[in-house]
Amino acid sequence: MERWQIIGLIIVAYLGVTLSIGLLSGRKASKSVQGYVAGDRDFGLLVMYFVLGASVFSAFAFLGGPGWAYSRGAAAFYILCYGVLGMTPYFFIGPKAAELGRRRGYVTQAQLICGRFPSRFLSVLIAALTLIAFLPYITLQMRGAGIVIEAVTDGNVPLWAGAAAAYGVVIIYVLFSGVSAVGWTNTFQGFFMLAIAWTLGLYLPIELYGGVGQMFEQIQAERPELLTVPGLTASGDPWSWGGYSSAIIVSAVGLMMWPHLFMKAFTARSDRTLRRTVVLFPTFQLFLIPVFLIGFAGVLYPRSPDSPDFILPFMILNSDLPAIVVGLFCAGALSASMSTGDSLMHAAASVTVEDGLGPFVKLSDQHQRLLIQSFVLITGLVAYFFAINDSSSLVVLLLTSYGLICQLAPPIVAALYWRRATTPGVAAGFAAGSGVAVFFFLTGYFGESLRPFDLHEGVLGLIVHIPTMIIVSLLTKPQPEARQAAFVELHETEHAAATP
Amino acid sequence: MGIRAVRWLTAVYMTAFLLAVTWPGFLLFNRVTPIIFGLPFNLFCIALFIVIGMAVLFLLYRSEQRRAEEER
Repeated sequence: MERWQIIGLIIVAYLGVTLSIGLLSGRKASKSVQGYVAGDRDFGLLVMYFVLGASVFSAFAFLGGPGWAYSRGAAAFYILCYGVLGMTPYFFIGPKAAELGRRRGYVTQAQLICGRFPSRFLSVLIAALTLIAFLPYITLQMRGAGIVIEAVTDGNVPLWAGAAAAYGVVIIYVLFSGVSAVGWTNTFQGFFMLAIAWTLGLYLPIELYGGVGQMFEQIQAERPELLTVPGLTASGDPWSWGGYSSAIIVSAVGLMMWPHLFMKAFTARSDRTLRRTVVLFPTFQLFLIPVFLIGFAGVLYPRSPDSPDFILPFMILNSDLPAIVVGLFCAGALSASMSTGDSLMHAAASVTVEDGLGPFVKLSDQHQRLLIQSFVLITGLVAYFFAINDSSSLVVLLLTSYGLICQLAPPIVAALYWRRATTPGVAAGFAAGSGVAVFFFLTGYFGESLRPFDLHEGVLGLIVHIPTMIIVSLLTKPQPEARQAAFVELHETEHAAATP
Repeated sequence: MGIRAVRWLTAVYMTAFLLAVTWPGFLLFNRVTPIIFGLPFNLFCIALFIVIGMAVLFLLYRSEQRRAEEER
């Protein structure tokens, strides 16, 4: 049997196991919207940990992370810095959102925001923004899967076929089992990719340089600019401190505001599960370190791949590893791509139906579920179309997605903690903040960058967003006392209610 | 430690974390040598901040949990 066929067989075996886990996991979940979107609010610690961790550990971590370390050096360190900061607020916000979800039947983030600030405009705006941010993200996950399969099979399985096989499996299990499949497959995939990342992250530096420390000493001697923060930009010039620092801030604010992550608050079995997940989450940040080591191992390698993003498969294929190891690596990389892609597709469809259409048409529970399933299929097909065609323009969209997503943070915080916030205030702030972020992104993309101190457009958006929200809220009529209390003072009453 | 003290500790630590990893705070740690556990000094520091952050979050979890039980 030829080498690529052995690798292919391992991939097929991996896809088979994933598919069975995905299909089996949905048997117990109820056939309702709550079952499909929020897993009947019954995820335990293991699944919650991997569902959040694996969704973050995406194809970006497996392909982009090493690519950043390889081409931009210490610039990649920013990816490590925001996890703990971004997760901590969720310790308080998560359980509160979950309690409101249980009481009022929420399954999405926009339902929570619009429960406090009733506005169809806001609901549709959030749904539209989510889709704009998600589509390029899903596309890149698919493309990543196709690229990896094509590379390790020496081109015998082309990109379109590889992406179709991997995401065919994803679509089937998401269609049948909804979020339960996302949770349980992510657990399997999470174990898998962690094992692969650590093994290769330690193996490559030892094999090529004699050890991790020796590797960094040699890089320090030959390419010292790669080892001090803020590292380099994509074009190889020194990156700015403003760009580096504001990237951390935007990512920290935006991290848990990604709808596919925030919505998982509604899937947790209890507050205790949610809080434990927050405590354990930073371990996933530490798992990024071996991934960076793989990228750094490529720095002094005599040959280089076509694009920095291919550094990982490139190193794997050039280090004379046995076919089985290459196959397992490929399965690890597919895990990273699929565990993020499934979560995104599921959330994109849920948000479209619940928040985009929900406020306008009354649908029965059964119809909603059916509609969400159709949108999973539609999202998958659209993303696939972009993935197999040239999608360079989509990469650009992805760059600004954090700038848009972090605009969801002020409405969430206001909904749960600020009594005096009003619907016009939140809507105005949200529109202004997103507008500013888009403006600075577009001017930078088409012409000259107008951003002061090279600050991320998301931070600039927030600088306009927050004062707008506060001022407009204070100028408009306060909300009825009962509504304020129902959301803001929940925490005190919740403890009383929890007493048996 | 009371619940309020632990919440304060968390807020203070997370603020310090933010200041330490962004400009200008990170200038204090932005060196390659000494290499510790095979990692450049700056990367090692970030890893250390994350580990301490987890310890702080664990403390917060313990005290929130204790409070929930006391109220029961």
